[in-house]
Amino acid sequence: MARRARSSSCLLLAGVLLGSLVAAGPALAQSGAQPKRGGVIRIAEREAPGLDPHLSISFLTHSYVSLSYSQLVRFPNGPEQKSPTDFSILPDLAEKWAVSKDGKVYTFSLRKGVKFHNKPPVNGREVTADDVKYSLERFMAKSGFRDRFEPVTGIDVVDRYTVKITLKEPYAPFLNHLASPSFCAILPREAEEKFRDFNNPDAVIGTGPFVLKSYEKGVRMVFERNPTYFVKGFPYLDGVTIDITPDAAARLAVLRAGKAELPHVWGWISPEEARSLKQTSPEMSITPYKVIGQGFIYMRTDQPPFNDVRVRRAVSLAIDRKSWNDALLFGEGCVDAGPVPCALTDWKLDAAKIEPAKAKYAVGYDPAEAKRLLAEAGYAKGFTMPIYHWPGYVVPWRNYYELAAEDLGKIGITVELKPEEYGKYISTTALGKYDKAAMGPSTPFTEVDDFLFGRFYPELPTNQSHVADGELTKMLVAQRRELDPKKRRQIVDDIQRYLADKAYYVYVPQWPQYVAHPPYVKGFRHHDGYGLGMRLLYTWLDK
Amino acid sequence: MKRYVVRRVLLAVPTLFLVSVMVFALMRFMPGDVATRMVEGHAYAPTLAALRHDLGLDRPVHIQYLDWIGGIVLRGDFGQSYWTRQPILDEFGRRFPVTLELALLTILVSVALGVVIGIVSAARQDSASDYVGRVLAILALSVPYFGLAVLVVVLPSIYFKWTPVWTYVAFTVDPLENLKIMLVPALVFGVTRAGPVMRIMRSALLDVLRQDYIRTAWSKGLAERPIILRHALKNAMIPVISLIGLQMPLYIGGSVIIESIFRLPGVGLFFFEALTRLDYPVVQSVNLIIAAMVVALNLLIDLSYAFLDPRIRY
Repeated sequence: MARRARSSSCLLLAGVLLGSLVAAGPALAQSGAQPKRGGVIRIAEREAPGLDPHLSISFLTHSYVSLSYSQLVRFPNGPEQKSPTDFSILPDLAEKWAVSKDGKVYTFSLRKGVKFHNKPPVNGREVTADDVKYSLERFMAKSGFRDRFEPVTGIDVVDRYTVKITLKEPYAPFLNHLASPSFCAILPREAEEKFRDFNNPDAVIGTGPFVLKSYEKGVRMVFERNPTYFVKGFPYLDGVTIDITPDAAARLAVLRAGKAELPHVWGWISPEEARSLKQTSPEMSITPYKVIGQGFIYMRTDQPPFNDVRVRRAVSLAIDRKSWNDALLFGEGCVDAGPVPCALTDWKLDAAKIEPAKAKYAVGYDPAEAKRLLAEAGYAKGFTMPIYHWPGYVVPWRNYYELAAEDLGKIGITVELKPEEYGKYISTTALGKYDKAAMGPSTPFTEVDDFLFGRFYPELPTNQSHVADGELTKMLVAQRRELDPKKRRQIVDDIQRYLADKAYYVYVPQWPQYVAHPPYVKGFRHHDGYGLGMRLLYTWLDK
Repeated sequence: MKRYVVRRVLLAVPTLFLVSVMVFALMRFMPGDVATRMVEGHAYAPTLAALRHDLGLDRPVHIQYLDWIGGIVLRGDFGQSYWTRQPILDEFGRRFPVTLELALLTILVSVALGVVIGIVSAARQDSASDYVGRVLAILALSVPYFGLAVLVVVLPSIYFKWTPVWTYVAFTVDPLENLKIMLVPALVFGVTRAGPVMRIMRSALLDVLRQDYIRTAWSKGLAERPIILRHALKNAMIPVISLIGLQMPLYIGGSVIIESIFRLPGVGLFFFEALTRLDYPVVQSVNLIIAAMVVALNLLIDLSYAFLDPRIRY
């Protein structure tokens, strides 16, 4: 009764049912390609550092286990998605949900009769609200992404199929985080009790489309279709195998030789590899996708010389983004790469729509003006700065570091490139613990909040430039509290206008990713985020 | 002989002790901090202090060392990985046969090629076949094995839509399939290692062929084949065997790249990944086990000299 009383005060925001999923079949049929059931897709990829979705932030861990787990809600995939960055929210284990008028209480109604994979000690029992509470509380306690649930104050089981999540304040990114593949996977408690954590392959027991059958470390992971998957008729594939292939050249070679369908967990190859593959294997399906990605020079804006906006603007104006794009990315990159990544089209305010006098400090190239600004700031003779970095990031990063040093040298800033070992870089520099300046890529988040609040809110470890800007901070908080997408978009636009001439981060061009696979792989469409299970839900083999 | 073996085994103790101290110390000098990475990137514990306590990293360094080495010496317990919490010996045991098989096949290939070409070169000194053999040896020496491995994997995939990369199958499961998978990596690695073997073989054999007892054999009217194969080769093999012993750590070290390119689940990658994740116990224990093996192998090699040259006495 209590639940009814509460739900009457709730505003039903979404209730998209199974229909959207089931409709996918006919949609494909109309396009002339009737999906065939059967076949196993082989993926050549590196080994994941672990399998527990809460004990690793690796995209490999999250992608692999997303084959086996479900969340409360999820992003669209395959025929459901309008673009690779379509982050609308669809039901997954939750059949529907409601949000209270004040935006602080989310009530999720679970699908009934959804069974875990039939593996001991869970043995195919039904998923209940207790599992949701257990899993989300474990996420909040253990995950490296746990700060995404910082506004959550309580997770309560209302009844066997209803869960209520209470927040301390309205929090617009909440559903997006819940939908992020495998972060908020619904896990069975018995498996942790028996195996201590979810790293043991026998503990990978979920409700997702594929069941992990075997895992020979260093060799192969074998997934088979979940016969009791709650979306009837899916997946099309009989199974998925991950053949552990640490070397990049070998991954491309097995694709060419017909020993793998995907040369990367998401089928990605670089623009350079795509060119070579088109020449050597013209029959391959090679599709470019503008994907979420971002790289930048970050600076200690709380210390001299980078606490002076003129110096930061000079650094930004020194970077010849167009030449980098032409020389290294075949002109296919996006030079207007921040603060919101190019691919995040629902939120991006293009530099062209910002007052040119301000936008030039984000995307412009003017070494003469840069020198003038440096002189004005008292550095007429330039200065020396380090750029800490990890040289192991994929092509074209190594060239990027060198080009940055070269471009900055032209305005009188002597750059000392300081390569670091990965462990040191990722646990110190990338978390803001460095001297003066550093450079590197960003995690490809799916929620705009991560690129704004995460990057600019004072004291956060992801605020790598140590930004503390009162006016900006107010806007950052306002956008995450605004639940109306249109109003939120306005605030996000204001933030982008505000940031255009601050040069807190100096963004460098972002390149597209090519998705490559043999032509008989159908229905495999890229969708940003650390998932794989839903992409393969609609994938089928035409052979 | 017995006394010699006992003395060598006793001498191995300080060697391995030094190895254990060095690898323990070096791991702690590595930049970065394992606990920070496990907490900030992976949330293995709510706080850094809690994880340090959990892993025992909050104790004095000498206690940590004694705990690790004590476990090995007293209980045969090589510890467990910080990250996976799995016993190191289990994982090592699963992976070592792959690396060992690769090393043995590599030695087989390099010795077969190196010894045969070396013999021909020495027996036909300054002939065309000698020059060809020497050029091949220099070529093998100068081509890096990892470059050759990439070419062998990539080129046929471009021109013939085929590549010698398969998914690993253990010898015990399917010996033929296993040998098919191991053959190409062993050939690639073996060919590049055959260069030094050939050069040592050639010079050692030339040296032996100039000795008095060989001259005596010639004067007795023996044919070339028995002189070289029966009388000269055995003595000339001593430096070759020494070389193989010295190269043993190289087979383990080089296996990282070969295993990575040919996707073989050996010790090399296990060790390399542990190193990049600062998994102290794994790096320390694997290093110590391999050091012990190298010490043992060198002892065996030294003992084999007595078989090759009966004048050698221990």
